[in-house]
Amino acid sequence: MKKLIKEAIIYILIGLAIWGIVFLISDSKGIEIGKIVYNTFAQTIKIILSVIVFIGLITVWFTPEQIAKYFGKEAHWKRFLIASTVPMFLGGSLFTIFPLIGTLIDNGVSYGVAIAFITAWSAKIPMIPLEIHFLGLKFTIIRTLLVIPTAFILGYLGEIILEKMEKKKIALKLKEFVKEELVLDEDVVQVLEKEDNGNNNNNDKKNDK
Amino acid sequence: MDIGNYYIIVALILLFISYIKDKKKTLKALNSILKISLNVLPVIFFIFVVMGLITVFVSKETIANLLGSRRGIVGILLGELVGAVALIQPSAVYPFSGTLLNKGASYAVLYAFIGTAILIGVSTLPAEIKFLGKRFTLIRNLLTILIIFVFSLFIHLIM
Repeated sequence: MKKLIKEAIIYILIGLAIWGIVFLISDSKGIEIGKIVYNTFAQTIKIILSVIVFIGLITVWFTPEQIAKYFGKEAHWKRFLIASTVPMFLGGSLFTIFPLIGTLIDNGVSYGVAIAFITAWSAKIPMIPLEIHFLGLKFTIIRTLLVIPTAFILGYLGEIILEKMEKKKIALKLKEFVKEELVLDEDVVQVLEKEDNGNNNNNDKKNDK
Repeated sequence: MDIGNYYIIVALILLFISYIKDKKKTLKALNSILKISLNVLPVIFFIFVVMGLITVFVSKETIANLLGSRRGIVGILLGELVGAVALIQPSAVYPFSGTLLNKGASYAVLYAFIGTAILIGVSTLPAEIKFLGKRFTLIRNLLTILIIFVFSLFIHLIM
């Protein structure tokens, strides 16, 4: 909890510092940033808070095993099916779902599903009327349909790459671990020898008395 | 009605159902909701300031002129770059893309721009790294840029 508060304060201070510097450069630009911060906050706060509630409920009601059964590696290709389509119907900004995705990964969702989920989010089906109005029906249909293969491919490739990197990291860690063990061994031997000598000396003294 | 209201309503209904089914679990959930809020909200404030910074110092007029005049591979790459860096609210992406279309941008460039504008954000990178890790962020962003490039070429061929 203490670490959380500390981090929270750091982020707020850095944000305020940047804002302050802009104010020093130009008053009007500083005010403009204030307006943007306020407006984006007003637009997104409801979604952000709701997503946080979803995260809280997921962590309480679902065990990692349950989630892994449908969205982990053991679900094979099927795990991409929902992740590549359902998020298409959701709305909101990308950054609002990062904490949610983080929680899901911690609870057994595979990397590929996480990437597919984020990618499928970009379809923005709730905003389709707007897209058709500004960009035309043909472009909108093509773009929306392309989101599904994009999510599938990105999820599949991303998972392969991330897992390979993770395996390498684990291998490296093992090597380091082995090295440390060896070093420790020598140290331990020395320490033990010293202790042994000390004990012997003490014993000798005791015997003398 | 704005989409945020739907979210709030669904969240409250789920919270209510959860409370009826199991009070203990729901209290535990509320506790973690408080912690997550403390974790998430300051980062989001930070992101908003960075967003404001980019919006104030990069004018939409510059972007429009930049993207309207270039086509082909250079245009697609530029579209991706601008989409990733320039910050446009999701609700403003389409109106702004409409402006770009009027200024002469091709559909392939628009596809590249919209794709990265929605999926990649320089200003949201700190949040992605914080919640999902450096490796995940790096791989996801690089792959996304790559695949959007490929599909932009596809759009270039068919539209």
